[in-house]
Amino acid sequence: MIVAERKPIEEILQMIAPYKKVLLAGCGTCVTICWTGGEKEVGILASQLRLARGKEGDKADTVEATVERQCEKEMVEELRDKVDGVEAVLSLACGAGIQTIAEVFEDKPVFPAVNTTFLGSPEGEGVWLENCGACGDCFLDRTGGICPMVRCAKGILNGPCGGTRKGGKCEIDPDKDCGWVLIYRRLEKQGRLDLMRKYYPPKNFRVVKRPGKMQAIKA
Amino acid sequence: MPVRMGIFLCDCGGSLKNIDFPKVRENLENLEDIAFVDITHNLCLEEGEKAITSRILTENINRVVIAACSPEFRERNFGELLEKLRLNPGLLSLANIREQCSWAHEGDVTRKALELIMMAVGKARLLQPVERKEVAVNNEVLVVGGGFCGMKSSLELSQLGIRTTLVEREPTLGGKLKKLEGFYSSQIEAMIKAIEKAENIEILTSAEVTGVEGKIGDFKVRMRGTKEILRSFGAIVFATGYKTEVAAGDFPLKPGVNIISQERLVQLLQAPTLEARPETIGFIFDLSDENPRFPTLATLNNALAVKQRWGSEVYVFCKNVKVDSEGVEKLYREAREDGVMFLKFDKNPKISADDGRVKIDAEDTLLGEEIVLTCDLVVAEEKLLPAEGTEGLSSLLKIRTDSQGFYQEENVHLYPVSSERKGIFFVGNCRGDLDLGRVLADISSVVAKVYELLPPGKVIVEAERVKADPQKCVACLTCIRVCPHRAVQLVQVDSEKVVAEISQLACDKCGICAAICPAKAIKFEGYSDDQILAQIEAIGVS
Amino acid sequence: MNGEIIAFCCEHSAYAAADVVGKQGLHYPEKLRVIRVPCAGRVDIIHMLKALEEGAAAVLVLGCEDGLCQHLTGNVRAKERVKYSETLLTEVGIDGGRVGMFNLAANAPHKFIKIINEVNDRIKERERENDSR
Repeated sequence: MIVAERKPIEEILQMIAPYKKVLLAGCGTCVTICWTGGEKEVGILASQLRLARGKEGDKADTVEATVERQCEKEMVEELRDKVDGVEAVLSLACGAGIQTIAEVFEDKPVFPAVNTTFLGSPEGEGVWLENCGACGDCFLDRTGGICPMVRCAKGILNGPCGGTRKGGKCEIDPDKDCGWVLIYRRLEKQGRLDLMRKYYPPKNFRVVKRPGKMQAIKA
Repeated sequence: MPVRMGIFLCDCGGSLKNIDFPKVRENLENLEDIAFVDITHNLCLEEGEKAITSRILTENINRVVIAACSPEFRERNFGELLEKLRLNPGLLSLANIREQCSWAHEGDVTRKALELIMMAVGKARLLQPVERKEVAVNNEVLVVGGGFCGMKSSLELSQLGIRTTLVEREPTLGGKLKKLEGFYSSQIEAMIKAIEKAENIEILTSAEVTGVEGKIGDFKVRMRGTKEILRSFGAIVFATGYKTEVAAGDFPLKPGVNIISQERLVQLLQAPTLEARPETIGFIFDLSDENPRFPTLATLNNALAVKQRWGSEVYVFCKNVKVDSEGVEKLYREAREDGVMFLKFDKNPKISADDGRVKIDAEDTLLGEEIVLTCDLVVAEEKLLPAEGTEGLSSLLKIRTDSQGFYQEENVHLYPVSSERKGIFFVGNCRGDLDLGRVLADISSVVAKVYELLPPGKVIVEAERVKADPQKCVACLTCIRVCPHRAVQLVQVDSEKVVAEISQLACDKCGICAAICPAKAIKFEGYSDDQILAQIEAIGVS
Repeated sequence: MNGEIIAFCCEHSAYAAADVVGKQGLHYPEKLRVIRVPCAGRVDIIHMLKALEEGAAAVLVLGCEDGLCQHLTGNVRAKERVKYSETLLTEVGIDGGRVGMFNLAANAPHKFIKIINEVNDRIKERERENDSR
């Protein structure tokens, strides 16, 4: 799922400084699950804003709303009444959600309260780890299901760099696992180590054209 | 339906003199959803019950606020009274104006009393009834482990009329009793006979538990014996016991032919013939700092057996003889009368090999002298460890173990026999070092708890006191992972959606899941976010 | 609200301790308002922030002693949430010391009083500092 992190509070406060009445819009999917932009976090951020502004003698008007998926125009449309009553929108959704809400309500300034950081999976309680780079040319078949583009700090595609630290940790960041050690162990378990001896030519990053577009089959 | 609230103020027999009750009533009566405000003197006595009863029967109210003494006392009683009067006890809200108001401050506390009552009123407005319903439960019990604890538990459960299945991984029952001397071993025959005779105990030997799913009232247990078995039980009692190992780390010499474990000694004692009777035997314990009771018990037992069977000279080296268990003081005296010598050391003795025998060099603290003894046989100190397979079982069951690997009790002082999962209990030494007295207390305790939790037939639960809204739940699995009582499971609600479901029987109503749910999907009736915020907002509004 | 101290009290520890205080005829500042919860782990960040928004002088969470939470992790989670609330407050220029977590057992009425008094003293000190500006 998409993982995002809240921006530093100073940035957020600066963005909405000129606006008195603001709608804080959350999303009920990915950012809810990673504790960044769901109904709870909308409530907390709104409370912080009121406390911050209350201190400066300026009672802020904060409106709170969360939709199930902020990247769906129909769902965002449900916020129309609330949006009409405010001067600006502060969105806690991922980049896709923020842009959708900005498109539906074109005349309103929409601000991002979060930074969308990566695609990842939960690793433990409250911890998410990036594991997909959305490169458009998935080659997990050859790496036992572990992506070296993301899990290897150098992003190299044909085996370890040779600088792995003790305990299978990365040369560059000792807190990170060496992606290629993980791949080796996985392939070893499956008896497919021969894959590591094959050479693969450099990736074709032109496969991903920006912005990407996908047409599913019209059923 | 619009809220219509009845408020009862109790002045505790007129003794709460620093609250101006008429003033409080005046302030409350003005609120639009309040049907009446009554000042009473003793809500806890019969007159109070009458006052509440007559009002509820005549007025058409759907919320009740009682301002009186601490809810810790009265919540249950008032709730039961409301239920009798056909008003759901979930619609009751209490304000503590006695212990935490009138008694806790100097001077007039009318303002605070009024605010506390307004907090209760604010919460009451949002209360919803919580229905109670009957759920059928399976009240068969599985006892895992056929040693002394398992057998005794099964017998006591069976005597209460509870169908029990006793599963043991060895081919015969008896556990460690088969390998101990003296007091314990005489019990086995009688116990096994009693179990075989009991009609409602099923014995499964040479079988092991391989999986447990479900919750209290409905545990689905997989066992493997000669074939795969799948059965359902209401509760599970683990009596899986312990194992002992010579504390080799503390011992300078490796265990061998003449440094042996207590178990080995018993084997030798029970052997029909013996090559050479050892003339001098030394027992040694307290070398490490742990000081458990177990070595004392085993040593005294076996020392007596040695004296009786072989008549050897027996010396016991230790820091302290721990007699704080039932019957042990007597054993100690018997041992001394039989000629067992006890030597107390402070510094660990030096132990070395000496021409095929073992030399112990210790400083006796009472004599203040050095004693050097050469023994034919030394029985080494043993560590009490969890039985083989405890770690595997505990991760299978998703229950915790403590730092030494024994099962972790839910609360060492208050709930020593319960695990954190409702319906799973432990008895005996699988919980750690215990003695007979405590083990027997454990067993009675477990049996009583099982009987309480699984009465014949059905159990009454509060349906949906804590509920995950299937519309809002995104199946992020947080509540399932976080619930300390493992009371939440994923269930399929329709062909596509899975959501979290909280088992009302297993739920202990802590609210941790309600606080942590990222989608705010879990509502804890009585302590919901709205109900808490209503109390906050009511403060200072007077 | 006007400078009250809000205390979320776990029913197994602090709430029971507060009852004992009353039973023993001991006193503490009248500005305390107790909200009873089944476990400190029920208290969430928004509860603390909203209480401060409403004008509370301080918000406390009182739970069981370390390692003795009947629900195993409730008091630990509460502590994390209180810490996080402190950062959220400091971020927007509010004194993070206005939220705090304390641990005590049901048989510790004197500890209860000590906690409330210490918090109250800190509040008064802050008021004095604000006044002198």
